Amino acid sequence: MTGAAVEAAGRPHGVADRAAKGVSRGPRLALLGILAICQRAYLTLWRQPVLIVSTMLFPVIYLLVLGNALNRQLSNIPLAVVDEAGNSLAAECRRAVLALESGRALVVATFPADREEALDDLRRGRYRGIWVLPYGLSPAGPAPAFIGDNTDRPSYDALQSALSEIWGEATGTRRRSAESARLEAYPYLDYLTYLGPAVVCLAIFMGSMVAGGLQVIEDRMYGYHEGYLVTPVSTGAIVTGHMLAGTLVAGLAGAFVLLAIMLFTPLPMTTPEALGGGLVTVFLTALAITALWFLLFARARKTSVLRGMFGIINVLVFFPSGALYPVESYPKWLRVISDVDPLTYGVSALRDLLLRGAPIRTCYSEWVFLLTFSLACGLLTQVLFRREV
Amino acid sequence: MTTNPIQAEKLTRKFGDTVADDAVTFEVRPGETYGLLGPNGAGKTTLVRMLTTLLPPTSGKARVAGYDIVREKGKVRASIGTVSQAETTDENLTVRENLSVHGKMYGLWGRTLSERIERRLTQVGLWDKRKQITKTLSGGMRRRLEIARGVLHSPHILFLDEPTTGLDPQSRRAAWEMLGQLKARDASLAIVLTTHAMDEANYLCDRVAIMDGGRILCEDGPEALKRSLPTGEHVEIETDRTIELRDKESIIALGAVNWRSPAPTSVQFEARPGEGIGRLAAQLVEERGYAIRHLSISPVTLEDVFFAYTGRALREETVA
Repeated sequence: MTGAAVEAAGRPHGVADRAAKGVSRGPRLALLGILAICQRAYLTLWRQPVLIVSTMLFPVIYLLVLGNALNRQLSNIPLAVVDEAGNSLAAECRRAVLALESGRALVVATFPADREEALDDLRRGRYRGIWVLPYGLSPAGPAPAFIGDNTDRPSYDALQSALSEIWGEATGTRRRSAESARLEAYPYLDYLTYLGPAVVCLAIFMGSMVAGGLQVIEDRMYGYHEGYLVTPVSTGAIVTGHMLAGTLVAGLAGAFVLLAIMLFTPLPMTTPEALGGGLVTVFLTALAITALWFLLFARARKTSVLRGMFGIINVLVFFPSGALYPVESYPKWLRVISDVDPLTYGVSALRDLLLRGAPIRTCYSEWVFLLTFSLACGLLTQVLFRREV
Repeated sequence: MTTNPIQAEKLTRKFGDTVADDAVTFEVRPGETYGLLGPNGAGKTTLVRMLTTLLPPTSGKARVAGYDIVREKGKVRASIGTVSQAETTDENLTVRENLSVHGKMYGLWGRTLSERIERRLTQVGLWDKRKQITKTLSGGMRRRLEIARGVLHSPHILFLDEPTTGLDPQSRRAAWEMLGQLKARDASLAIVLTTHAMDEANYLCDRVAIMDGGRILCEDGPEALKRSLPTGEHVEIETDRTIELRDKESIIALGAVNWRSPAPTSVQFEARPGEGIGRLAAQLVEERGYAIRHLSISPVTLEDVFFAYTGRALREETVA
């Protein structure tokens, strides 16, 4: 048969009849395709315990360990006080140090007689600091000297601040200026509670990595994808389906963790409005992060690519988001990354809603960013996504 | 006007400098089971991938179910069912869930979908296993599920890419019988099958194309292909005494080729299939007063045809 004859040939008998019977087309077919991909992702989630552990339990454990490891007030810092003065002012300083030991338990004080011996011990790591009260100690001078182990910056700072406070009290210099007023705008928050929204975002990050990245690559690797690609569902619907399926899994993980941390760390604001706004934020963040994962791995064929890139993406997405430390203190170049990182907006909206009790409208700008980001990623993915194998 | 479900004309696909399919032209008729036979790297899978819209052709054209495979991909996809070499059902879903997910991708919904699932699972004998998680199925059952999924939406053409590779003989036979039943119920269903199992092609196919180096070398019904060989029927005759030279010459004159005489009392030769030369030779030997101790006439197989066209040398696989 010639090319023209092939062109001119009509439809085979019966094709139209088959297609017509109870079969959807156009937008309805697209919706059914999206529904099918989501159905599969949802069913797969509950049948893979490893997935639940990695997406839901890992962030909660992370919260408990990291929150408790970093949240502690400093205590039992070994301090050497070398009293070379032996006068009444030095005795007052020594008493104040002992009070610090028995009261706040900030230090464990030792009183070696020799400065050199104390310095040797500092170098050996026995002390974090030495406070030398020199001969002739007086308010007019000579003043005490603090030699601290600056490899341990938090202890160094805490000792220095406590000892200068003691010296100020002992010499009366502190009383000269009036105490400034200090008020807290919100109920007391410990670091564990501060971490809460970050951990919700971590669950979203992990969940979307599994459902939006790993799952899609595995589908391609093991040939499951071929099952989708030969169907009449449009490429746009397949991309949207994968994005929504990932959002469903990541959003469920985020919502679960949100509820879990409300039990572990009673968040100050647990009004229905905050919870509702929180859930919307969780799912919008899940959508944006899933869209990002899917875009990054739209063409990847091997899971080793994801494993290789995971560390870099984690560093570029999770850490600049302000999840662990306030964004405002970042250097300029890091602020740029933070500004385009969707997780920044998720963390910020969740903190506003759950810690500060802000009204929902304060999150609108974050929500708009997350939606726009998702849409942009989705459109780019559709261009990059290959229908062919 | 009706037309053939598949019409391919000069379909070519290149991967860089490698030509996987080189101007392949063929047709599949309504209701026909068409086998693509060839060694690894012959271009069978690439050809099927082009016809199922998974790979664009480099040149040439083809219509599947009357639709152009490049310009009317969506319509082609809606008209075909595929069962690929890889297991593409999700092992974490139940048998029924797999079909439910897949049916929606073809626009099936609600009661129509439920009825189709029940009908297809009953046909492949898996209705009782509908609630079982797919990874717990045996290889044969999993393959049957793949086939049920391939025909769930009642396609016009079903593509099967090495459908019984890795199955035990019982499961292979069960899969063949199931395909036979599917065809019996739906006479217009055309099937395109790639395989390198000769018995499978012989059992299932109405017509067979033998491919190698990206080209179709020959194409016909399995029996016609066997008859087309100049030789291939293997004959062995063993007698009670030494066969004399003039008797040997008489047998050769019947049309025997590739003559061997492993012992003075026996001869082995090949003959053109379908002409009964083996039987004639046996008669001749008896007429000349020999007693036949052993007679073996092996008919030509599709494998003989395959080797005749593709050779016996191992080749490098160059196509993914």
